[in-house]
Amino acid sequence: MKNSNKSSRRKFLNNGLKLGLITTISGIGLSKIAAKLSAQTANDSNTKMELMTMDGTLIQVDSSEVIEVAHSKNEDRKYNVREGMPNRKFVMVIDLAKCKNALKCQSACNKHHYITGEHAWLKVYKMQESEDTAPYWMPTTCMHCDHPACVTVCPVDATFKRRDGLVLIDNERCIGCRFCMAACPYSTRVFNWEEPNQGEITMNMQMKHQTENNSVEFAGMPSIKGTVDKCDFCPHSIKENILPHCVTACPNGVFYFGDKYEDTVTNGEETLRLSKLLIDKDGYRLMESLGTRPSVYYLPPVNRLVDFNEGLDNYTDFKSVEKSE
Amino acid sequence: MKKTDSLLLDLAPQKFGRIGIIWTWTLIIISLIGIVAYIDQVIKGQVVTNMNDYALWGIYISNFVFFVATSFVGTVTVAILRLTNNSWRTPIVRIAEIISVAAIIMAGITIMIDMGRPDRLLNLFIHGRLQSPIIWDVIIIPIYIVISLLLLYFPLLPDFALLKLFFEKKNPKLSKWYGKLSLNWTGSLAQKTIQAKSIQLIAVLIIPVGFMLQTIDAWLFSTLFRVGWDSTNMGAYFISGASVAGVGALVTVVYVLQKVYKLEDYITDYHFDKLGKFLVLMCLIYLYFNLNEYLIPQLTSKKEATTHINVLLTGQFAPLFWFVIIGGLIVPVIVLLFKQGRKPLPMFIIGLLVVLGSWWKRYLIVTPTLLHPFLPIQGVPESWHHYFPSLHEWLITAATLAMALLIITALVRYLPIIPIQRTADEQEELELNKNTAK
Amino acid sequence: MRNPLIKHYILLIVLSLFLGSSSFAQKAKKNKVRLKANYVKVMNSEVYFDLQATAKVNGENITIPNVELVIYNVVDDEQIELGKATTNMGGKSRFTLKDLKSIKPDSTNTYNIEISFEGNENFSRTSKSISFKNASIEATFVKIDSINYISATLINKLTDSVVIGQSLTLQVQRLFKPLLLKEFNETDENGSILVPIPDGIPGVDGNITIEVVLNDSAEFGTVKAIVNAPVGIPIVDESTFDERTMWSPRSKTPFFLLILPNLLTLGIWGFIIYLINNLFKINKS
Repeated sequence: MKNSNKSSRRKFLNNGLKLGLITTISGIGLSKIAAKLSAQTANDSNTKMELMTMDGTLIQVDSSEVIEVAHSKNEDRKYNVREGMPNRKFVMVIDLAKCKNALKCQSACNKHHYITGEHAWLKVYKMQESEDTAPYWMPTTCMHCDHPACVTVCPVDATFKRRDGLVLIDNERCIGCRFCMAACPYSTRVFNWEEPNQGEITMNMQMKHQTENNSVEFAGMPSIKGTVDKCDFCPHSIKENILPHCVTACPNGVFYFGDKYEDTVTNGEETLRLSKLLIDKDGYRLMESLGTRPSVYYLPPVNRLVDFNEGLDNYTDFKSVEKSE
Repeated sequence: MKKTDSLLLDLAPQKFGRIGIIWTWTLIIISLIGIVAYIDQVIKGQVVTNMNDYALWGIYISNFVFFVATSFVGTVTVAILRLTNNSWRTPIVRIAEIISVAAIIMAGITIMIDMGRPDRLLNLFIHGRLQSPIIWDVIIIPIYIVISLLLLYFPLLPDFALLKLFFEKKNPKLSKWYGKLSLNWTGSLAQKTIQAKSIQLIAVLIIPVGFMLQTIDAWLFSTLFRVGWDSTNMGAYFISGASVAGVGALVTVVYVLQKVYKLEDYITDYHFDKLGKFLVLMCLIYLYFNLNEYLIPQLTSKKEATTHINVLLTGQFAPLFWFVIIGGLIVPVIVLLFKQGRKPLPMFIIGLLVVLGSWWKRYLIVTPTLLHPFLPIQGVPESWHHYFPSLHEWLITAATLAMALLIITALVRYLPIIPIQRTADEQEELELNKNTAK
Repeated sequence: MRNPLIKHYILLIVLSLFLGSSSFAQKAKKNKVRLKANYVKVMNSEVYFDLQATAKVNGENITIPNVELVIYNVVDDEQIELGKATTNMGGKSRFTLKDLKSIKPDSTNTYNIEISFEGNENFSRTSKSISFKNASIEATFVKIDSINYISATLINKLTDSVVIGQSLTLQVQRLFKPLLLKEFNETDENGSILVPIPDGIPGVDGNITIEVVLNDSAEFGTVKAIVNAPVGIPIVDESTFDERTMWSPRSKTPFFLLILPNLLTLGIWGFIIYLINNLFKINKS
């Protein structure tokens, strides 16, 4: 009984998603055309314009009758941001054999999330387990653990675990107790100790929150003083089938991202089966023994083509965020 | 009533002399400065502290833990000594209750200072999650505040009635207040029965509640992964530590009040002797726990544990650590094992050492652990590798300590420090026993 | 027929204005723009053109966001405007048509599309032309001797004949990029391919959406057929979202935590209320 309810719900959601997507695309297409034409109507009144309708026929329309169409909003799909996308479990695979500390991932993440503090969300660590073992570069994001310590200790449900695996933060509810930061063993969380000076974009971002965006899926846009931030696996992008920024920014194909249920991860160039990748390359997770069950897998740094030392040029011990003037 | 008359002359609250007024004003000024600093912190954000993403908790939290620990004195002195029939406790119970109330109220206030968004305090109640140890703390602290207040209030009822009569002519307004607070106490059998039953209930209730308070405070740390905090020892460790901090504070305040109010007849060397023995016992137990906590992990030399302990024993925090252990525990134990060490003045100095050691011990619990997380500290400014409180933090912390002392001062000003009616009753009983013995 | 001429006039005037303004500008060095256009036809669904505008600025290749591209259908000498598209932050844009019926082929039954960029103060004007013929892929899921296959046929819609020797790719539709199953399946003399579907591919409810793609052929562009094969491993949802766990929201607190702390709290407050009541009793007596 439960199963058929779930599957009919899935089908409904699936269809709803497809319908919404097609509506959005055609709506955008039509509105773009209409918008351009309406700009001309200011100059030419009483001229006919050639427009294409939704079924592809060309028609002649009086330009005065053409008005701008607003963007269709995504609220049409009954989507609960605290629940997330159904039937998905997002995972990331980081191939340590390829990382050369180019730090393009870090700058892309910093740029797209307007990170202005001293502490980047994505850090590339210089690691060396012991004196005899090889040093390597290790990028870390939030692990979006399946048994998240941070979520367990949050007193006000400001950080939460979604159905699709993402652990997100509601900056409107966070009281700034920093218990989650104390709980995270991966030191991945960042606190806004002061007013984040994200510049004029802050006002635009705040306006967007009230109309279009949902702050929970747009972490750091804006950041709020006295609350916690962290890597969010870019839900604003992955919702639109666009890979997270770090994945696309990496010139060496280090980051793979995908849906574990689909057993597929991609770094933009290669698309591979996750299970095979983890078996072939002996994937592991950080601090597995702590029982946090992270969603980020690492591939060991073997057979490296580039020397570790070449990454040292980029290495800044005391800086992870480029400050603009 | 004869007995109480002479007692009242000695024990009724008096106006503050010059020292009292200077003391009070100093505390008020310190508090005000701290409040200004706090307002600055609310406006600018916690960037005014020296906390960072690694040293994410600082002296606000260790101060909070200190207050919670000190508030344990109510449980220890009043309840445990009562249930073990240690009758020498009578002159000092009220002081213990006063310290308890002051400490737990300030604990509740201090924790709010550490919040990044104090304007969202209500979220704790609207959206609270029972899975979070912070919510357990939010539940238990108000309970303990109320119970401590009740523990202070119930035995005060007969004393208020006495004070009302005492001040009837001297200070009618004050007398009226005492009258209201005494709740029409006449000393009737019915009232005495209710009072006795209630005090017995509170004494029994405060023990599990007090234990729960300390344990939950410990669980704020031991429910996390961090080295130094992830200890199965933590609950018992905190209870033991709280006993030490509480009794140390008690000893210090008792000495000051005895000297200032010239209460040598009531709080005698005998009492100090007993308190001294009590403190030694608490310190020894705490020392035992510390041994387990800091010596034993060295033997298995797990990397993270070793790093943590080395930082404390021989590294950056070594001077502080050895001050706390030696000055705050070992020296008190040694001194107090001797009879001369249990005289009032040495006890006062030891009490101060213990309190100081307790305060810094909590700093050592919070900060060093945070400064060596599992992953190395990289990509952040050099200053983030260290933590020492900023001026704002010191001012605000000093203000909280001043406010605690202010609460104690206010209560001492208007409440009889030593329970009058009870002392009278006990003196009568003693005489009765003497007479019957004859 | 006057409309296209008016359009050309307007274009000329606009262009000359731009030229004029640029000659007054102080070192208006315009960068050359490269337009990329890929034509994709999805069977029984839409047809779209993936456009991208790039340029080489200071030796580096960059994408050009927020510029308007005009798409024309060129039929012999006629240029019919199909519409406009503006590039996004990545310099890309997708122009969609419902199907090929909305555009006209030329006399050789080839569809010609021209994408033009008017240019602006930073970039020179340019255009790109692509041509393609209409081809279809008919793909179905078949089961022969209890082995699962995808059977697909490539047909040239102009001549209604099969196309031999073209390489078709088989892939599984996935969230970000498709998962490759098998490449280089050459159509045989019947223009068909028969490819077995590997086992063990997960899909929602056991359904895998397989795409048969003719990738970027010179003659036919990209043609994609989508077929559903109900032979996947059904996805098992491992999420603990619906369970009562230590990390679930307040509405799903574990029972132990719901009952015990509340019992204790209520019990203790019960005692406290009793005590406060006692205070009132003392007051009254």
